[in-house]
Amino acid sequence: MAGALVSIRDLTIALPPGAERANAAEHVSLDIGHNEIVCIVGESGSGKSLTAHAVMGLLPRGVAVTGGSITFQDKDLLRLPPEGMRRRRGRDLAMIFQDPMAALNPVMPIGRQITEQIRAHRPVSEAVAMDAAAALLGQMGLADVAGLLRAFPFQLSGGQRQRVMIAMALSLSPSLLIADEPTTALDVTTQAQILRLLKTIQAEREMSVLFITHDFGVVADIADRVAVMRQGRIVESGTTAEVLGNPTDPYTRALIDAVPRLRHAPPVPSGAAPLLTVSGLGKNFRRGGLFSRDKQIAALDGVSLSIGRGETLGIVGESGSGKSTLARCIIRLLDPDAGAVLFDGADIAHMKPRALRPRRRRMQMVFQDPFSSLNPRQTVGNIVTAGPRAYGEGGAASRARAADILALVGLDPAAMRRFPHEFSGGQRQRIALARALMLKPDILIADEPVSALDVTVQAQVLKLLDDVRRQMNLAMLFITHDMRVAAQVCHRVMVMRAGRVVESGPTSEVFAAPSDPYTRELLAAIPGRDRLGFAAAN
Amino acid sequence: MREFARRFFARPATVAGFAVFTLILLVALAAPLLFAHGPFSIVGMPLRPPGSPGLLAGSDVLGRDMAAGLAYGARISLLVGVTSTLCAAGVGVLLGAVAGYYGGVIDDLLMRITEFFQIIPSFVLLMVLVSFLEPSLGSIVLGIAMISWPQVARVVRGEFRALRNREFVEAARTLGESDARIIFTQILPNALPPIIVISSMMVGSAILTESALSFLDLGDPNLLSWGSMIAGSRSAMWVAWWTTVLPGLAIMATVLSLNFMGDGLNDALNPRRRER
Repeated sequence: MAGALVSIRDLTIALPPGAERANAAEHVSLDIGHNEIVCIVGESGSGKSLTAHAVMGLLPRGVAVTGGSITFQDKDLLRLPPEGMRRRRGRDLAMIFQDPMAALNPVMPIGRQITEQIRAHRPVSEAVAMDAAAALLGQMGLADVAGLLRAFPFQLSGGQRQRVMIAMALSLSPSLLIADEPTTALDVTTQAQILRLLKTIQAEREMSVLFITHDFGVVADIADRVAVMRQGRIVESGTTAEVLGNPTDPYTRALIDAVPRLRHAPPVPSGAAPLLTVSGLGKNFRRGGLFSRDKQIAALDGVSLSIGRGETLGIVGESGSGKSTLARCIIRLLDPDAGAVLFDGADIAHMKPRALRPRRRRMQMVFQDPFSSLNPRQTVGNIVTAGPRAYGEGGAASRARAADILALVGLDPAAMRRFPHEFSGGQRQRIALARALMLKPDILIADEPVSALDVTVQAQVLKLLDDVRRQMNLAMLFITHDMRVAAQVCHRVMVMRAGRVVESGPTSEVFAAPSDPYTRELLAAIPGRDRLGFAAAN
Repeated sequence: MREFARRFFARPATVAGFAVFTLILLVALAAPLLFAHGPFSIVGMPLRPPGSPGLLAGSDVLGRDMAAGLAYGARISLLVGVTSTLCAAGVGVLLGAVAGYYGGVIDDLLMRITEFFQIIPSFVLLMVLVSFLEPSLGSIVLGIAMISWPQVARVVRGEFRALRNREFVEAARTLGESDARIIFTQILPNALPPIIVISSMMVGSAILTESALSFLDLGDPNLLSWGSMIAGSRSAMWVAWWTTVLPGLAIMATVLSLNFMGDGLNDALNPRRRER
């Protein structure tokens, strides 16, 4: 493209020997024009992030560019001496990261962090730089700027931190901003605000943005042009309208199709007698230290629900809404402070461990992170048979059953001899599901079971969960922060905020005609809802 | 396993430590074959320098073979170092695991006990204990274990606190596994690397402590150790340097080699370093 701000040509980035493939990126060519937002979209391991880091000259040790060029202002960035690259970094090229908590210095006040960046490039006094920092924070839509300048990163919310990061990145008016998954760690409503902010600022300053994401919804909301990466190669690129409306590459199509949509919301099965009834459940956490008075924080406040066989109840909410605490109180990983959990005709909320044990056996859980929910030092066989063995089933008998269950979740029974690290995230989540199913539960509690997975893998695991629920006639409690996922698998949903239920009902009704303003806000914040077919379903 | 060996031997210091330690271990094991006469028998004139006929490392004030003393001393040093570390690690792991896993009142109680042992001047406690119990191999091992377990308990408690909230531990609880089973089969294997590393270093410090006790004549009177060799020869230090320097060097070589191997183990077992 003539007159592009940044031209990446034939970029090849080599991974260290022994990595899963030779090159993180292969012959990647991409132009970023003036005044536009270009998205690189891809799944984990596609090389999208390393490509962005190569532009900044910030590749990790052991990873090196082996071919190609990155032209910026008539200079090849790859051939600049380190000092030349350092001077451009921050001034001409700026970057924001996925986790603003990790990117900010925890022991330095926000103001100092911004002025430090300004003064590293410009000979101005601290006072002048501080004024500039205050003005920037104001432009980011932050209130109480004076207080913020003196605050430390841990005192800010995730959204505030990401705004501070953006302010810092913009402090020297760079011509290119690289944003590496800047909203992935944020709640959906915060994500929507940050995306809007980025778009506004980009238009005001007429700068260019290279935006890395895994989410086609985000692409739909923010990108002018998009490049799809898979295994180090760009498989398709074009304007956002072209790529989303008429994808030519099968992989792009698969990615777009895998984004869960509202229109599949399944109907509520009728006439199921409740298997589990929760009423008025409450849980307080104490917070306080040596010098401050104890503060009670209500993580759960009068939560009630009921669920029957063969039914999936979605619990939707942002971080801190109490949805995970609810799951942990029901299965008694935490002890609730108030209320009752009626299961099998008895209240298990305050039951003694001995009486609880046979009942909890019929309630199993699948956790969010398949990398930490499987013990890295045990074989898959030991992991999957741990439950039955804990209840006295013989090793041989449980192994035989484990083979069947592994086949049910789509894994080769030979997997039993291997260790968790030999499996991908999706396969690990299948192992975790197999472990839960080994105890023949009546209720399956799934706590964000797909949020750590790539979108195509997500679709497979969601389908598997739904198949298993139907085959084993399970009641499933499905906890998620993602409205799109909830829409796909849940018969009924319950929206939580700050420990309370704000709205509940059949999924299709809640999503089509939300009665609570918070639910409406959540639905409006779904990335890409207009362009990816949510509006049509409504 | 091959990967483990590669990381373990990545540092030259670890290779040297491993070589020196292996040599000391072989000498200790072969002592009765090499020196059938034992360390206490008088074999020649006193204070002969190293290299004298039949006396590779010279002789001490009583005319005993220094080389035999060094070889038999290695047996005592390693025996005391390893057994006291095993006892200390056993107690430390058990208390640390229970404190870290259960938390709350149990944790408070066990940690106060641990701190009690940490704030007492440990060598004084050890001297009192050994002289009270009569100096013997058993009382020395017991004493050293008693002053070194708190360090293990602290580390293990920290590991358990970090690991007990991991999802695989929660999963084990929902599967109905007993607490003992969770502690020993789920968490402990994941907490092993730091335990192995500090244990290897503790063997070295136990050897030092034993030498110091022997030097103060609080060693087992029926056994010859490096510390008691130095103590018995200190009057001759100015006329016959080898009587004190050689056992001193033996102590230093053993402790250093153990520390170097500890560093190597840390590199090999610490997953965070693995990523570099």
